[in-house]
Amino acid sequence: MINFKNIEIKYGDFTAIENLNLTIADGEFFTFLGPSGCGKTTTLRALVGFLNPTGGEILVDGKNILEVPVEKRGIGMVFQSYALFPTMTVYENLAFGLKVKKMSKSEIDQKVKNVAKVIEIKDSQLVRNVSELSGGQQQRVALARAIVLEPKILCLDEPLSNLDAKLRIGLRGELKKLQKNLGITTLYVTHDQEEALMLSDKIAVFNNGYVEQVGTPQEIYNRSGSEFVCDFIGDINKLGKGVIGEINRQANGRLDTAKHAYIRLELIHFAPGEGRVSLKGEIMDYDYNGLITKYRVRVGKEVLRVIQLNDAGASFQHGQQIQLYLNPKDIMQF
Amino acid sequence: MKEQQKINIPGIILKVVIAWMILAFIVYPAVYLLGNVFYHDGQVSTEVFGKVFSSRRAMQSLWNSFVLAVTLVVTVNIVGTLCVLFTEYWEIRGAKVLKLAYMSSLVYGGVVLVSGYKYVYGEKGLLTKLLLQVFPQMNPSWFIGYGAVVFVMTFACTQNHMMFLKNAIHSLDYHTIEAAKNMGSSGGEILFKIVMPVLKPTFFAITILTFLTGLGAMAAPVIIGGENFQTINPMIITFSRSTYSREVAAFLAIILGVATILLLSVFSRIEKGGNYISVSKTKAKLTKQKIQNPLLNVLAHVTAYVMFAIYTVPIVLVVLYSFCDSLTIKTGELTAASFTLDNYKKLFTSAEAIEPYIVSIVYSVLAAVLAAAVSIICVRFVQKSKSKLTVLFEYGALIPWLLPSTLIALGLTVAYGDKNPLIFNKVLVGTTVILLIGYTVIKLPFSYRMIKAAFFSLDGDLEEAAKCMGAGAFTTMRKVILPVIFPMVMSVVILNFNGLLSDYDMSVFLYHPLLQPLGIVIKAASDESASVDARAMSFVYTVVLMILSSIALYFGQGSGMDKIRKIRQKRLERRVIKN
Repeated sequence: MINFKNIEIKYGDFTAIENLNLTIADGEFFTFLGPSGCGKTTTLRALVGFLNPTGGEILVDGKNILEVPVEKRGIGMVFQSYALFPTMTVYENLAFGLKVKKMSKSEIDQKVKNVAKVIEIKDSQLVRNVSELSGGQQQRVALARAIVLEPKILCLDEPLSNLDAKLRIGLRGELKKLQKNLGITTLYVTHDQEEALMLSDKIAVFNNGYVEQVGTPQEIYNRSGSEFVCDFIGDINKLGKGVIGEINRQANGRLDTAKHAYIRLELIHFAPGEGRVSLKGEIMDYDYNGLITKYRVRVGKEVLRVIQLNDAGASFQHGQQIQLYLNPKDIMQF
Repeated sequence: MKEQQKINIPGIILKVVIAWMILAFIVYPAVYLLGNVFYHDGQVSTEVFGKVFSSRRAMQSLWNSFVLAVTLVVTVNIVGTLCVLFTEYWEIRGAKVLKLAYMSSLVYGGVVLVSGYKYVYGEKGLLTKLLLQVFPQMNPSWFIGYGAVVFVMTFACTQNHMMFLKNAIHSLDYHTIEAAKNMGSSGGEILFKIVMPVLKPTFFAITILTFLTGLGAMAAPVIIGGENFQTINPMIITFSRSTYSREVAAFLAIILGVATILLLSVFSRIEKGGNYISVSKTKAKLTKQKIQNPLLNVLAHVTAYVMFAIYTVPIVLVVLYSFCDSLTIKTGELTAASFTLDNYKKLFTSAEAIEPYIVSIVYSVLAAVLAAAVSIICVRFVQKSKSKLTVLFEYGALIPWLLPSTLIALGLTVAYGDKNPLIFNKVLVGTTVILLIGYTVIKLPFSYRMIKAAFFSLDGDLEEAAKCMGAGAFTTMRKVILPVIFPMVMSVVILNFNGLLSDYDMSVFLYHPLLQPLGIVIKAASDESASVDARAMSFVYTVVLMILSSIALYFGQGSGMDKIRKIRQKRLERRVIKN
């Protein structure tokens, strides 16, 4: 178990992280999510030991690791740039940490070949220089190099960000499966919320050095803890005064007019249902991407975005008058 | 942010040792020299000004240096630019062969080159003998003085053009030339209005380096300057030989140093300003330009090949003479019976003959490696330490760049001519180690600059990745960092080794009489009083030196390192697959 207790990290007068408290359970895939510069990588690097917090403690299984040097913490790290040793082959990169531990040649050989099998690195790739590999292959080697040392904790700092979209999606699935099989406590840093939602058991959403919310992907998405989280995760409509007023008229003043109101795109429907209020609208335009169609609908003076699954149901045209239906319970207010 | 408090004792010891080296061999000698010149009997003294201004030779040498520097700026720029234009810009037949000749100054320079020219144009030179047959009244000692020095140095100092100007021309965006053609510009207009302006910063930088070279000229004035054209550095050698005039020598060295500092600060500014070659995101590679005017085309070819002859004839003659017997060398009359391998046999069978080589190779290797090692340590300190004092290591490593080698040499001899507590009450003058120190000091700035660039271009994550896997600082340095920067370090070591092999400027002050390096021996052989045997051996030395330099350059700058890397890679592959 990892405990961040009252962690503060300062760079001179600038406070990067203030009063951070987090608990990560054994075997959990825990993601630090947030925009650039919010402090997620800083927090990760504090755990690994590349920087020392100015205040607080980091406990691993009850022991404060801040006094332990980096090389003794037993935390595996996969860097955004992979940090593969360019003068070495794949085999030598994987064997590096094992050689530092002074293992025998046969033991090293066995471990390297085992991890290569797990990560699906072919034998022919083991003897190649890492600079000859593709991005996806390098990413696998970086992961294998961290795992071969059997760390208690695995840290990944945006490891998929340098890959193209298709490769990223493919490797995400593999990463998740691998983590489940190995059961290593994993800390993952990303700014990609789709990645975070897909991979994680728990997510901590960072904003300007603070953690806005910690929760499961479902909690983060459906019951966002703050306006920032709600707006950062997924796509969302911010409801204006006109729409709020109309909803309150139909739903007996259910919404607090002093607060901002948000609703997810997929929670606005084209058909009536129980508890739903209706809004009159006009189709402005739409984007079709095969799987879904995203409509922009003018409702009074406001514009709402609505998505429709392409299940061969009715589609709407530019300028068409339509009715939208939503349940006030699905609206998040802050 | 809190720093982990851990006392690194080996690191502290290393810092102390390096700081002592910088203080003892760079800072102290320069300061001592200044003190020696301007401080007597406990007070500031301006006596040296009187000595210098009243010395006709000293004043003449200052003037000659200045005149030489200004002249060379013009002549070297003309010849150097023509070299680059003939090989890189214009379509000239045989450009590849021309390039080999024009780049010969990279493997054949300093005292070796000047001696070579003397064998062609000197009193007993081949060309002089030919000219005397046509003009018997001609003065056989015609190749002495200002004109001779300018001629030799013009063709000896074009390597900056062949390196920097060549690279700058290759960085041009060819589309700009095509655009100019499209708008009706002639070849000459394109060259002077499009190409040259873009190369201005490069020209400025080369001009400053050329001016400095002229100011600090040594080999050419010593060998062919004659009595009437001596410059600062040869005068420093002359004046340093007597205790009375040593002060004058020191003052002249200081003047040279001040001029160097001023000019190099201008050079630094130009360097920082960057090179404004192209704003294009998609540059086109330069295509050689045809000289449209037939007359100009012929003139260009003739000029190119005359220059080719000037560059290559001395080298060819040196190679030829190295295979000739003593009589041929004495008379200069080459026949079929002249050729022999005896000179080479002597080199490889006589301990006395091979000694200068061994001496130069040992000194050069040691100094090159030491300069690289000290640079690696200093860069590491500067890179890793948060203390502001660490920047002093950087300044210390770079100070010799601002000081001419004569000033460094003179500083060492003056400061350590007697027992000195800074070097544990030892005397350095007259020892074999003082030359090694001098060589290391002069090569330190170049080593530091190149190695620093290599370190700072490293991916910082590599070290962190190694730490994560349990590697300590030393293991990380040895197994991760050094292998990555190894090609650059090797390049630096090889280039420094190359530059020191035939050094004369530093050697003349600091060499041990029993261990004469190549530069001293070759210069002695070029003297009129030298024996024929000595001259014959100097030809052999020069040829072998050129071969060694070429091999060194092949590995340091050419594809040699790539080949070594590939061999190493194959060996690793075999080992892993076998396992």
